[in-house]
Amino acid sequence: MAHELDGVRTGEKPHWTPTDIIGNMSLGTLMFSNDYRHIALKGMLTSLLMLAIGGIFAIIFRTELMVPDQQILGARVYMTLMTLHGMFMVFGFLIPLTISINYYMIPKVLGSDQLVWARGAQWSYWTLIAAAVLLVIGRPDFTWTAYAPMSLRVGDNMLWAGFAAIILVAISEFLAGAVLLRNALVAAKRSGWSRLPMMGWGAFAVGVLLVISTIPLGYVGFGLLMDWLEATDIAFFDPARGGSVMTFLYIFWLYGHPAVYLPFIPAIAVLYTLMPRILGRPMWSYWSGVVAFLLLMVFALPIGPHHFQPATTVTTGYQRFIQIITLLVFIPSVLHVFNWIATLWGSPIPASARRSIPFKFMIASIAFLIYGGATAYINAQIATDSDFIHNTYWIPAHFHAMFMGFVGQMAVGAVYYLYPYFTGRMYSQKLANAHFWMWQIGIFTKVTMMFMLGYAYFPRWVYDYLDLAQWSMPQFLLTIGAYLIGLGFLVFIFNFAWSARRGPAAPDEPWPVEHDGPVEAATPAE
Amino acid sequence: MENALGLDGGQTTMIAITIAITVLGLASLTAAMFWKTRWQIKYSLEFVFIGGLLFLAWYGDFVSTSTFTAYQEPMEADEVSGEIASEEDQFFDRTLTVVAFQWGFAFITEENEISRNAAVVKPGEKVLFRVVSNDVIHGFQIPSASITAEIDPDEVRRVWIRTPDEPGKYLIQCVNYCGVGHAQMKAWLVVEGDEDEETANLTIEGTNDGA
Repeated sequence: MAHELDGVRTGEKPHWTPTDIIGNMSLGTLMFSNDYRHIALKGMLTSLLMLAIGGIFAIIFRTELMVPDQQILGARVYMTLMTLHGMFMVFGFLIPLTISINYYMIPKVLGSDQLVWARGAQWSYWTLIAAAVLLVIGRPDFTWTAYAPMSLRVGDNMLWAGFAAIILVAISEFLAGAVLLRNALVAAKRSGWSRLPMMGWGAFAVGVLLVISTIPLGYVGFGLLMDWLEATDIAFFDPARGGSVMTFLYIFWLYGHPAVYLPFIPAIAVLYTLMPRILGRPMWSYWSGVVAFLLLMVFALPIGPHHFQPATTVTTGYQRFIQIITLLVFIPSVLHVFNWIATLWGSPIPASARRSIPFKFMIASIAFLIYGGATAYINAQIATDSDFIHNTYWIPAHFHAMFMGFVGQMAVGAVYYLYPYFTGRMYSQKLANAHFWMWQIGIFTKVTMMFMLGYAYFPRWVYDYLDLAQWSMPQFLLTIGAYLIGLGFLVFIFNFAWSARRGPAAPDEPWPVEHDGPVEAATPAE
Repeated sequence: MENALGLDGGQTTMIAITIAITVLGLASLTAAMFWKTRWQIKYSLEFVFIGGLLFLAWYGDFVSTSTFTAYQEPMEADEVSGEIASEEDQFFDRTLTVVAFQWGFAFITEENEISRNAAVVKPGEKVLFRVVSNDVIHGFQIPSASITAEIDPDEVRRVWIRTPDEPGKYLIQCVNYCGVGHAQMKAWLVVEGDEDEETANLTIEGTNDGA
């Protein structure tokens, strides 16, 4: 018996109609409505604002790093900007943006037209806003990892706000995870697991990760706050007062590693949702994607210790176990990429897809996922890690390729895709193309220069450096790349603001699948 | 340059594999987008592909573990024999205790001579560093010897290198964020030749190759 979700699973379009949601709402509706469209819109707009703020921080400290021996910022200000850049980008931009897009797509793709437990999403949003405010108040300079006991010995007397912000981030992400998990379970109950669209599997995987991993984060934030206040006789993590740094490291990375999958999995789910719609045919393999989601979810939890070098375990079986699991986590990511490439290769790419901006961003993001992801193979190995990888610029290169190149670009592509559904209008194609190419050149320059610096042993978290040719030249180009990304962002925002009033009205189907000529090989979606 | 981990062979292979994976991925993506010929990929190909990846995972683990175990062996022997080992049995020509602090490195010789931010060694020696930290988590990296370690408070991390044959000053730096002075937390591995050559240009590769 045909099921209503079958069509969804194979890429058929559910009933999406462009409407001017933004033009027909009051500010109060946007702020407090529990309608999933408003919650998603609010989350997306806020995430883009966070991207702007985090980006401005990056532009400032990039300028500081442009040439050696020239100071425009002190070490303290530099590190505060660096810390806030990391926190705003990961907690404020990547995770909320991908999850907000999921909030919007889940009710449509899973066919329910409403977000289960939308109030949880609402609370998650406002908790995150409170966390952002606390971060600005606390101005922490302990990097996003807040390694004890260093994090207890920096900052000024407002630093408690930084630790409190970590707790609020944990609560916010826990709530978001609970919302996604509940939606996935409700949808699975209605349709059966074997008919659950990829968006549902993604929501399930990331929901489980969020719900499990944010508990250690909350504990770490609480322990750091208590240690900073000296509220307990024996400290949690501060070795000077009887605490254990090892405890901190193991518990923190129990969150810290799944944290990189928190934006990664929803971005993959968005890709699985949009690619069949833009190409007008189903994905190459459903089960390969499902298995890859589940493997990512399972492998993400134990491998946190590959982020640090625990002295007692470098040569033990435990460390080797971590190395092997880290090498294996490569496989589900490759399965996803394999699936996408096989889908693209299977039949002709429609002319409409080649023109569409979301599709361009999608292809570029896959390219960056390959570029940044392949290095995971050497990052996972203890021997190469102990050479030029551990805490050099190699690591930022790896995660900027993944976060900015893949997750960020995929999310921005999805924002372009959803634009007509929120404004009822289309954006300017020319400006969008300009944005696209500025970002490709900018991000490629940035990532490549970071890889070169990492290979030349450039240490992380420094505001100044020795005037060596292999360090100063890539740093200069890296800053140019960052400026280009900033410029692209301005074009992006201008395009959206301008087109919301003056753009051409969107047709009923903003993303029709059209081929230039007759196509034999293209199979209709069934 | 001497490579402490002896990685030159293994590391080159691993980087070559990484580049090969990148090129394969990007070439497939480009072909899938722009090549006229369409290709319905069979499911069986994916299993072949997974088999290849499993082999790569096994190979990476094998090379990494054997390389690192070989590197650790002399230090473990040293740890076991301790002070009792006779002069001839000792693998290392020199042992330096390194105290990483906020913000710098203090090097203490076996004769209890302390020098701050300079480890003075002779060319071609095998030097063991016992690195400790009294305050926060620090890093200890010698780029010219291709070695990086992370030092947690109240723990001793052993690192050994074979010093360069060319006299000169080689960079030692902290790579873990350890507070506002992190960027200044640098020391020099001073390799003394027969005549003391004072150096004008500092590079992480030493002074003589002018990189």
